[in-house]
Amino acid sequence: MFRIGYLARKLAIGALTLLAVATFNFILFRVLPGNPIQLQARAGNLSAEAVARLRELYGLDQPITTQYLIYLRDVFTGQFGTSITFQRPVADILAERLLNTLILLAAATILVVLLGIGLGIVAAARRGSRVDSATVVAALVFWSLPTFWTGLILVFVFGVYLHMLPVSGVSTPGLGLTSPIASFVDLVRHLILPTITLALVDIGQFVLITRSSLVDVLTEDYILTAKAKGLSRRQVVLRHGVRNALLPVVTTTALYVGLTIGGAIQVETVFSWPGMGRLMYDAVLRRDYPILEASFFIFAVVVVVANLVSDLLYQVLDPRVREA
Amino acid sequence: MTVDWPGAVVTRPVPARVGRLRETLALVWQDRIGRIGLILLAFTAVVAIVGPIVFPFDPTLVGKSAADILKPPSAAHWLGTDELGRDVFRSTLEGAQLSLIIGLVATAISIVVGASVGIAAGYRLGLTDRLLMRITDFFLVLPTLPLIIVLAALFGQSTVILVLVIGLTSWPSTARIVRSQVLSLRERQFITRVRSLGASDVRIVRHHILGNVLPLIFANTVLIIAGSILAEATLAFLGLGDPVHVSWGTMLHFAFDSGATGRGAWWYILPPGIGIVLVVLGFILAGHTLDRILNPRLRER
Amino acid sequence: MQRHGSRDGEKRFGGLLVALILGLAACAPNATPSPSSSGVASAGPAASGASGPSASVAPSAVAPSSASLKVGWSSEPDTLNPLTTYSTEAEEVLQLVYDKLLDYGVDLSVEPGLAASNEYSADGLAITYHLQPNAKWSDGQAVTSADVKYTFEAIHKDSLGQYAQWLVDLVGVDTPDPQTAVVKFTKPQAFNPGLTIPILPAHIWSSKDAKAIGAFTNPTPVGSGPYRFVEWKKGESLTLKRSDTFWGPPPIAGQVIYVLYANEDVEAQALKNGDVDILTEVPPTIWDGLNGADNVKAVSLPSFSFHHIGFNLSTAAGSKGNPLLKDKTIRQALSNAVDRNQLVQLALAGHGKPGDSIIPIGLTDWHWAPTGDQVMDANPDKAKALLDAAGYIDRNGDGVRESPAGKPLEFRLIAIQSTSVDVRAAQLFRDAAAAVGIKLDLTTLDENTLGNTVYNKDTPDWDIFVWGWDSGVADPDYMLGVPLCSQIGGNNDVFYCDKTYDALYAKQASTVDVAARKAITDQMQQKYYEDAAYIVMWYQDKLQAYRTDTWGGWTEVEGGLVFNFTRDNYLRVFPLK
Repeated sequence: MFRIGYLARKLAIGALTLLAVATFNFILFRVLPGNPIQLQARAGNLSAEAVARLRELYGLDQPITTQYLIYLRDVFTGQFGTSITFQRPVADILAERLLNTLILLAAATILVVLLGIGLGIVAAARRGSRVDSATVVAALVFWSLPTFWTGLILVFVFGVYLHMLPVSGVSTPGLGLTSPIASFVDLVRHLILPTITLALVDIGQFVLITRSSLVDVLTEDYILTAKAKGLSRRQVVLRHGVRNALLPVVTTTALYVGLTIGGAIQVETVFSWPGMGRLMYDAVLRRDYPILEASFFIFAVVVVVANLVSDLLYQVLDPRVREA
Repeated sequence: MTVDWPGAVVTRPVPARVGRLRETLALVWQDRIGRIGLILLAFTAVVAIVGPIVFPFDPTLVGKSAADILKPPSAAHWLGTDELGRDVFRSTLEGAQLSLIIGLVATAISIVVGASVGIAAGYRLGLTDRLLMRITDFFLVLPTLPLIIVLAALFGQSTVILVLVIGLTSWPSTARIVRSQVLSLRERQFITRVRSLGASDVRIVRHHILGNVLPLIFANTVLIIAGSILAEATLAFLGLGDPVHVSWGTMLHFAFDSGATGRGAWWYILPPGIGIVLVVLGFILAGHTLDRILNPRLRER
Repeated sequence: MQRHGSRDGEKRFGGLLVALILGLAACAPNATPSPSSSGVASAGPAASGASGPSASVAPSAVAPSSASLKVGWSSEPDTLNPLTTYSTEAEEVLQLVYDKLLDYGVDLSVEPGLAASNEYSADGLAITYHLQPNAKWSDGQAVTSADVKYTFEAIHKDSLGQYAQWLVDLVGVDTPDPQTAVVKFTKPQAFNPGLTIPILPAHIWSSKDAKAIGAFTNPTPVGSGPYRFVEWKKGESLTLKRSDTFWGPPPIAGQVIYVLYANEDVEAQALKNGDVDILTEVPPTIWDGLNGADNVKAVSLPSFSFHHIGFNLSTAAGSKGNPLLKDKTIRQALSNAVDRNQLVQLALAGHGKPGDSIIPIGLTDWHWAPTGDQVMDANPDKAKALLDAAGYIDRNGDGVRESPAGKPLEFRLIAIQSTSVDVRAAQLFRDAAAAVGIKLDLTTLDENTLGNTVYNKDTPDWDIFVWGWDSGVADPDYMLGVPLCSQIGGNNDVFYCDKTYDALYAKQASTVDVAARKAITDQMQQKYYEDAAYIVMWYQDKLQAYRTDTWGGWTEVEGGLVFNFTRDNYLRVFPLK
């Protein structure tokens, strides 16, 4: 497979990146003038007890470096503080929401990959035809859609007008569904519109990437050789083209998870999906800084992990590449 | 990333300096898709500049009674009214200006920072390069929307802050492109010769490097404008926009907030969104054609 | 998400006020009786209840059902601990899980609660409660007077939560037998605290000290009420199910499920789709969208909420408020500039009444209204005249007036971002001010930050804000007591301090004769109106909506079908299918 050294190096870089993110957070939220902790401590109407508690909690009268170390210790042991709004440990709240977001991201990724790659292959195979033109134009239009607006339109059409699909939440409350199949179906019904919304913008991007990398590959010499050998167009495309074009597509898919976080935040807001994205939105409305800090960090973790997976996949699929 | 699509201009060797704007535009125009992009952009520019002059928007011109709120299109209000009874058609025109301005200014900041970083890194090499690239890579890893949200939440909601925040989160891609181009330019004969003749770094950068780099980032810039406009719309929608001035994003925010979706007030939701789509699409189409023309051989690093 | 400006102090006194009104006709000899206020059931004998099996929860002719009543809301409880909560949503749930000694019926009259009857002692210093004989906690143990003793004494001893102020004069609780609790005070209590304090199970709570209680979230509440807690899926839904050991007639709905929606638009959709049966409260434009929808009834009920503009009048050395605002002329000019009817029409979509005095018109007998020249409303000409006469003229032609010393009349205006009615009102206010030459710079903040900014006693750094008071009932005594000098650092958000006003307040508090007392409260309202520390914008209607095809038997009560003092609607509604 790949050398342990390579893996270790990648992991180390990932860890360092996370450390950098935590430091970045520290600077933003604890050091810069006007940061939330300062604001809290100087609110002017806090009881002496509350101020003392703040001091103790954040080590406010200690030197910056000590505060930094305390902060790092907290972050890497999962202690993200207490939410101002909910008055509960942020870690608990995050844990509840993370799964919902991952479900949404997974569903969207599947849809994007299947449709994006599928249509990209079709377009590349019929390069120059009207099908190709239409696909590309459609892809470009999708790429221009603001995710949240697309969501609003879908809510409008399918929820308000047609009454066809649920437009909020993860499940229908109070149904008392016992059968796992029925619960699953209910989940899927709730998943449809948010997933389509989230996927739509990026399907466009995937179609274009797939198409262009496939087109590049299709003109390479060994493809021409295969054609000369008499293989049907279909065989050429599938057997040789796709396999080689797969590499950038697969790695982009892994990266996709990280790229689509912004979209997830918008979708969760519009569809009231109880995930981390909506948590972040609610936290912004209320300026719940502990949640904002923690969500940002977790999202960064997701991106780092996704990039790591992407790099490793790249290694697996194309062993000719060695880290320089 | 190069995108090859039907009707795309056939590749041709790129001269070292594509100096003339007109020539480039002509090339874009010839490309079928690029042409659509340019038309969209021209249309939006006209609407944004001329629209508010011909149909000025007065935010204090509110409705008289509750019946004037969220009214469907009529002869008096071509696109109906908003949650305060104001004319949606006019506010859409007005909103175009702010949305575009924010997008353009933020992009300008982004390009300046990104190009500076890229040139400094690519030209100086060594420690500077490594340091700057680490910083660039770090920013590339940070998830964009959460970052923008956090910054806007911390530093406030004024238009200036928004512009800064958007601009300062989109420079990495420019930096990377610029750096790679500078790296390849560096090795070219004429740079080495000029240096040995004793020309100062600044001179070299200004006279030889910038000219070759700028067209390269031009295509990327266009994409960044599109991204900035989308970013402003998203931020405003999430409630981080400037509540005092009208932009397409803030219109959608107030629409969502006052229940326009549930009320079926499509006239309030569609126009700002369509505006955003048209502008962004225009930039994307034009940008991709530009990319195709200016960087026919370039592959993504 | 939206709290419509309900504030800590407000929620705290909500029950107090009703109690005050209804308890004022108590047997205590020096209690001040109140005139019956329209809309609120007059204090009958049930108030102090010499005895009184008056209307208990009416046994219903419909058999208990297994159907679930689904309630939609857009904000969740902060905690399920009655001693630490300040949220309306939490109280809504807790009032079904816990009982109070006395309760409100669906017509807002007082009924027996956990106490089947109660009586005052001859000297008015003690109240004896006789508990329901068969009351049980949801874990099977019996409810006894020891629970009453624990609850009252624990709250009093450590001043716990919002109920502490009603027990300030508590001496202690005697428990002669398990069914009798005698609550003793140092002074006669004009109001009966049994109406507001939920009784907690001693066997669960007594082992916790004050600190532990402060940190306790009460994740699985054990109460004696008609419903039991089942589960709370945070961010989604909270479920209660009917208790089979409730001392009163069983409620009909088998379950009550509270469903959380991200915002009111979405929850309105859900109601239209039939995903929920009733919504706790909706904002005006959304309510309009529900009005006339199929199988939906949208109700608009009188409430006692008002929203207002407030000015920073702090004289603290560290205050960063603009000193120009201390000039009454400017405040009066702004009051004249505002068109309250326009605010109601546009910000509230017509669902309210223009405001004037801080005593809402819902309290018809106490409300004072300005007449003739006293009225300051929708009169930009008068505003301009006032400003001109005082020397505030636009000296440099920029459209903004300056003081004689050259300081521009430019002030900072803050409002809560998530309260859209306030944001709209602020925008309209800003435009009205601009029309008379005063510039207002609007910023929107989240509720916490606004609260912290405003209620900063020593260094308040703000000029003008928009907010609301959101109480169930407003007794003149309570609202009039907010702008007292002694309330600076407490409820007095504008730091108003006037000796004359304070003197009037003290006087009305001890004036027994109703007519004489009203004369004083009118005077106070007029003074406060003219001093314009507040500009009361409107008294809004409570807007709710429910489905007409799923549950029947909803009784429209002033203050709301749900989210109100009485839980009776929950107990009475029956499924229609």
